[in-house]
Amino acid sequence: MASGGRVTSLSRLHFGRNWAACRNYCRKFCTVRKHDVNSHRPFLCHPNSYCTFRTIKQHILCSQHCGEAWLQPNSRPTSTDQEHKSAVSSPYKLVAEDLSTLCNDIKKELSPSPAELKLLSQYHFDGKGKAFRPMVVMLAAKACNIHYHQHPTNNALLASQRVVAFIAEMIHTASLIHDDVIDLAATRRGRPSVQEAWGQRNAILAGNFIMSAACVALARIRNTEVIKILSQVLEDLVSGEFMQLGSKEDEDERFNHYLQKTYKKTASLLANSCKAVAVLSGCDESSIEQVYQYGRNIGIAFQLVDDLLDFISTEQLMGKPTAADLKLGLATAPVLFAAHQSNGIAHTKFLAEQHSNEAIKQISMLFPSDERNALITLTHNVLHRLK
Amino acid sequence: MAHWQGHRMGLFRLTVPLLKRSCGRTAISRHFVTWSQVRTASFWGSSKVTDWNKAVSEAEKIVGYPTSFMSLRCLLSDELSNVAMEMRRLVGTKHPLLKMARKFLYDGKHAIHTRGLLVLLMSKAAGPCQDEALSETMNSGIYPRQRSLAEIIEMINTANLIHKGVVNIAELQPSDGSVEDMHFGNKMSVLSGDFLLANASTGLAALNHTYVVELISSAIGDLVEAEFVGPRDKFGHPLLLSDQATIDDWERKAFLSSGSLIAKSCKAAMMLANHDKVKQEMAYAFGKHTALAHQLKEELQPYLGYSDSGVTVTVQGAPAILYVKLHPEKAKQFGFISNPDVNSKLLRRVIKNSDAIEQAKQLLQIHGQKALSALSTFTPSDARSALEKIVNAIVAV
Repeated sequence: MASGGRVTSLSRLHFGRNWAACRNYCRKFCTVRKHDVNSHRPFLCHPNSYCTFRTIKQHILCSQHCGEAWLQPNSRPTSTDQEHKSAVSSPYKLVAEDLSTLCNDIKKELSPSPAELKLLSQYHFDGKGKAFRPMVVMLAAKACNIHYHQHPTNNALLASQRVVAFIAEMIHTASLIHDDVIDLAATRRGRPSVQEAWGQRNAILAGNFIMSAACVALARIRNTEVIKILSQVLEDLVSGEFMQLGSKEDEDERFNHYLQKTYKKTASLLANSCKAVAVLSGCDESSIEQVYQYGRNIGIAFQLVDDLLDFISTEQLMGKPTAADLKLGLATAPVLFAAHQSNGIAHTKFLAEQHSNEAIKQISMLFPSDERNALITLTHNVLHRLK
Repeated sequence: MAHWQGHRMGLFRLTVPLLKRSCGRTAISRHFVTWSQVRTASFWGSSKVTDWNKAVSEAEKIVGYPTSFMSLRCLLSDELSNVAMEMRRLVGTKHPLLKMARKFLYDGKHAIHTRGLLVLLMSKAAGPCQDEALSETMNSGIYPRQRSLAEIIEMINTANLIHKGVVNIAELQPSDGSVEDMHFGNKMSVLSGDFLLANASTGLAALNHTYVVELISSAIGDLVEAEFVGPRDKFGHPLLLSDQATIDDWERKAFLSSGSLIAKSCKAAMMLANHDKVKQEMAYAFGKHTALAHQLKEELQPYLGYSDSGVTVTVQGAPAILYVKLHPEKAKQFGFISNPDVNSKLLRRVIKNSDAIEQAKQLLQIHGQKALSALSTFTPSDARSALEKIVNAIVAV
């Protein structure tokens, strides 16, 4: 299989580990501000800014000379990694009970009287989705509650946090339904998409209905700050969609454009719903910011890997047509990198790993708990998922 | 005045590409004549001004600024100007987005933007709040947050109209335009509608009032629900008259499709000024009955003229439903019920000459009266009498 060949080529990227030579190389070529020469771990320029194409190229050059030690999640010599290894925490198990009622909670919000609208709007909430977003949000909520009490037993979800978790899934689903109309996607999660089954007009209306139900549920939390945080997501989603229409001429600008789009279309929802549950937990400002940064970085990593899988995975595994972005002419990271005669896949993976490292760095500042470690495990899962 | 100028520029940007391609040079000047005539008619008066136009332009003076209430920030945004630039591709197709954009320009003043106006007038009629806790200062008797609300309502309504114009690719006719172009039109409709809704939701969040957010969000859901009420074909078009439909069904649907947004936004305007429950409910009742009356008036209109040409009658409208209730046998004979190829000229003629019209007019009066009696609980003011004039203009047939 052609795609299999591409995957194995990734492993050829492991270089020798001549640390001294590498340190010199890094001193020479990398700006110290952007690259921690001593620990050999490039990190993102600034949590709130985006790397330009050039700085990423620099990081990659460094990484090739620093060896791939830190690129390998299993051999990363950091304390967080060891901690995470010792805790046997399956992220899903920790919130399985809370997640089990998710679809029913959502369906309760979506019960309009016209039978057809009910059918349409509940179509995607059949419990077969990954529920990745609610899982992250619930884990973040529990980790925040523990951090607030500084005690690992105080992890019960607040009712309002549970609502934020299902709102995140509702917003995500509504935007998928609208995206499918824009891309004319025929399948979604292994089934015909809403627009394929009911037509484009009904699909748009159903998406709006889910969105309005989500906003009603959001308002009932009765917290104006949380409403502001989550309504920002809606604005980001649509402005990300607009960004997808246009492209930039300049090389640096084009890459920046892609990363910004990635933030708005994927990461904003994760980042802001994590922020919302942190606010509800009563945590202090700096913890809220850390949880937000965790969501932002894992969200970007998630989308980068998604774009990568679009490149290499098979349709059967994904449950949706692959290479769809290429067909649509969208400039995703693998395409952008490939356009520069470099190994697009490896570079994208590299960038995703950088974001996942940043996510780990941020979340590690919370009070230690199974939930916090599960969030760290999740970042690894995001990098190594197959679908 | 600054608002007005800026707003015109926004519209200008939005429609210039349309005009350029669709009409050619001579047509451009023709359209601009029309545009200025519209303005003349509403600002400096003309012999043809109707009660409605008069009531609306008087009302506009009362609330402080004489133009539509769509947020300028939105209209001048990069996103919407991009849509406007791309829209030239739709010229020559029958995509509803194109029609929507033209409508927005030519009769925007009197058809689309009245919702915001009602909210502002209602806010002013209710007056300042008794509660000292509200720190805002009023501008022309209206709180800034109430003005934002009026803008938000316009954005929601426009987004809804745009989204309802998304066409189903599977039912396209060759004459509509190429599939690619129509899909492109859909894409623009989805994006610009989503853009307006997203801005409406951040706008709502900025009002800092969770009950208002809840109320207005539920109104967005109602607008969607309205599209699914009653028998439909697989594409969502309303099916023909059934003999089961009652006037209550009509009222329920009319409430969802137009009453809910107006009633809930009038109520929300009261909540923003900390007015008591009684005022909130009266504002709600006023909004609801005004909207229902307006809907009835629209449905009656095709039966009031003399000519058949260019009128479309709504088969699920109140006059038709009333006719079937009054004369079930005749309706069957004429083939009005569950007939996909109903003879609309015959339908119009038969109903026009029946007692259903009289009943529909009575219903119109009833809703008008209910709106006026809700208004009478507010203290007399310019704003209140402007609202009364608007209701009277609606019920005058």
